[in-house]
Amino acid sequence: MDNKPVMAAGPHIHSTDSSRRIMLDVIIALLPAAIAGVVLFGVQALWIILTCVVSAVVSEFLFNLVAKREQSVGDLSAVVTGLLLALNLSTSVPLWQCALGSIFAIVLVKCAFGGMGHNFANPAITARVFMLMAFTSTVAGGAAPRMVDAVSSATPLNLIGVEGAELPTLGQMFLGLRGGAIGETCILALLLGFAYLLVRRVIHWQTPVIFIATVFVCYLVAAGDFTVALYEVLAGGLVLGAVFMATDYTTTPITAEGRWLFALGCGLITFVIRRFCAYPEGVSYSILCMNILSPWLEKWTRRKPLGGV
Amino acid sequence: MSLRRKISTLKLPHYKGTAGMAAVRMAVPKEVLLPMNMHSGQAAEPVVQVGDHVTVGQLIAREEGRNSAPVHASVSGTVKAIEPYAAGGRKTTAIRIESDGKMEKCPDLKIPQPTNLDEFLQCVRESGVVGLGGAAFPVWAKLAAAQKSHIQTVLINGAECEPFITSDHRVMLECGDLIEKGIALLKQFLQSEEYIIGIEKNKPDAIAQLTERFANDPAVKVMPLDSVYPQGAKQVLLYNATGKVVGPGQRLASLGVIIINVTSLVKTAEYFTTGMPLVERIVTVEGSAVKEPKNLIVPIGCSIRDLVEACGGLKEEPGKILYGGAMMGKTVDTLDASVLKATNAVVIMNRADAEKTKPSPCIHCGRCVAVCPLGLNPTAFARAMEMENEDARAALLQKEQVSLCMECGCCSYVCPAHRPLAENNSAARRFIRGWETAQKEKKEGGK
Repeated sequence: MDNKPVMAAGPHIHSTDSSRRIMLDVIIALLPAAIAGVVLFGVQALWIILTCVVSAVVSEFLFNLVAKREQSVGDLSAVVTGLLLALNLSTSVPLWQCALGSIFAIVLVKCAFGGMGHNFANPAITARVFMLMAFTSTVAGGAAPRMVDAVSSATPLNLIGVEGAELPTLGQMFLGLRGGAIGETCILALLLGFAYLLVRRVIHWQTPVIFIATVFVCYLVAAGDFTVALYEVLAGGLVLGAVFMATDYTTTPITAEGRWLFALGCGLITFVIRRFCAYPEGVSYSILCMNILSPWLEKWTRRKPLGGV
Repeated sequence: MSLRRKISTLKLPHYKGTAGMAAVRMAVPKEVLLPMNMHSGQAAEPVVQVGDHVTVGQLIAREEGRNSAPVHASVSGTVKAIEPYAAGGRKTTAIRIESDGKMEKCPDLKIPQPTNLDEFLQCVRESGVVGLGGAAFPVWAKLAAAQKSHIQTVLINGAECEPFITSDHRVMLECGDLIEKGIALLKQFLQSEEYIIGIEKNKPDAIAQLTERFANDPAVKVMPLDSVYPQGAKQVLLYNATGKVVGPGQRLASLGVIIINVTSLVKTAEYFTTGMPLVERIVTVEGSAVKEPKNLIVPIGCSIRDLVEACGGLKEEPGKILYGGAMMGKTVDTLDASVLKATNAVVIMNRADAEKTKPSPCIHCGRCVAVCPLGLNPTAFARAMEMENEDARAALLQKEQVSLCMECGCCSYVCPAHRPLAENNSAARRFIRGWETAQKEKKEGGK
């Protein structure tokens, strides 16, 4: 054995950060929303979460095995993808569809492009959009939370503008007492996760705040009503998407200014889809669109280096 | 000043446990081994022969060629050998002197009395002082910029932002007189208007002491700087202290500024006080493998082994030996390597600390971009270096301006995927230099 001192390039110390730790932090930050989802929507929510996570991890494991790639499930990113997908689905989706969505996210969106860090779009979002098209009837509708019988299973976004429809109050919206996907309804839980990510310095506050503020301002201008604008912010998957998916590292610009533009674009597209298009919800589509624009945003926001041109 | 963009934000662990330890003189070593390339330019040329008796301060190698510097005997004794030397990578020759233990001073030394700038520069040249913060660029060559254009501001670099190192800190605490003398010399011959001593706030005692010393001198300003890495890097210090920026291909002196390390200034001043050229310096000896970390005053050319012995030996086998600090320090694989002129610290890590985590794929988190004090994008350099087509690779590297990179290592430090970004940056810089030279030759060949 060679006992000579190591020859290596600097630096010779390293921060305590690691990719795995970042993924673990995202999982921890998602836990309040996941727990709220199970409380609100019942044990079926738990089955969906487990199905998505397990099928994501297993499909990544098998893909690596078949493709003879180095095993990567230990980095926990598959767990994050599975968990995020589950929180974006409602309890009306059958488990086999959940599993299929998870496999789609991992194998086609992530692994086929080279694994973690190489996918061009957010796997969970892409899978949700795929499922929305493939299984429209189960994925588009929401399920009602079990403790509120007055509220229909339709998500509030479907009900806005429907004459005579009974909408949940803003307070109910904040706590998650409304129809929707498992992890999107309880805003309180999502904000807890947001705070944790900020404290752990995993994400910057700008992306979620700009995204949400853009939607809010657009509605304030378009509807001229503070309550409506606030309602739009609390409804749908906006907070979940803004905090957890518009902040995905791989599919958003690497520059700070690029990320701000990314968030602005997400907000505008969400507003346009919600207000003018056939779909009641636009968060997933807006993030997917901006994912694709991301390399350009990065190019446009390149800084002039200090002492450079 | 608060309007300035914060360009360096990285807070590192300091590991500056030796800051409170006054420098102690090490016992005279049995022998010293003085390499001929302890400066950044061309190697010096030996002027002694095997068997010669030499005394402390005696010239044993004269400067030869561009940006060279003379070498002086650091102990008295007999020249044992003039031999090849390769520790640390660059091959050269070295003069081995067996010490007689007497540390007899060279009788020919006299205090220089320059009367004008040219004479002053000639004296600095003979002192053998080079950039002692690590760059090892001859000090006279730096000061010579004053011959061409007026130097308005002298930035005295006492930032010492590197973890582990406290030798500049000790110099600032212990050699206040010489700092004053050095500034007086520069005032006399460079006639600069402004002298800024930049010191990181993690050295409050040095800031207080020097502020008091220069309280009545309006030309000298002690400037406390945030303890962020790499505060002491040329471009960063310049920007934070003066708001100025050196453009591409521009020289610092063209802005009317020079930056000199505080120990270099002190050693220069020492020559004009005692007539003794650069033969000894303070070295911080630190690291997880060292039993009793210390600041030592040692003759240049003594071995790292001598330092270790003076520090009570090693706790365990050395895993990594560094010239300099934990960020930009250069590794060497033997304890027999010499202390060089620019060796401000020797850090010896144990095996566990020497180990690096295996890199995983880039997750595009942007931490490297955010932390780069110059605003470069290390991931772009990494992408470029993966390109097969050399012209495309060069084009991307030029566009992303890899040549500005000062290899401070911030990007590697923060990378959660533990990717060797700084190492890749150096490889990219080497590649682009080679490619540009080749292009030039091709062009000239075609004419």
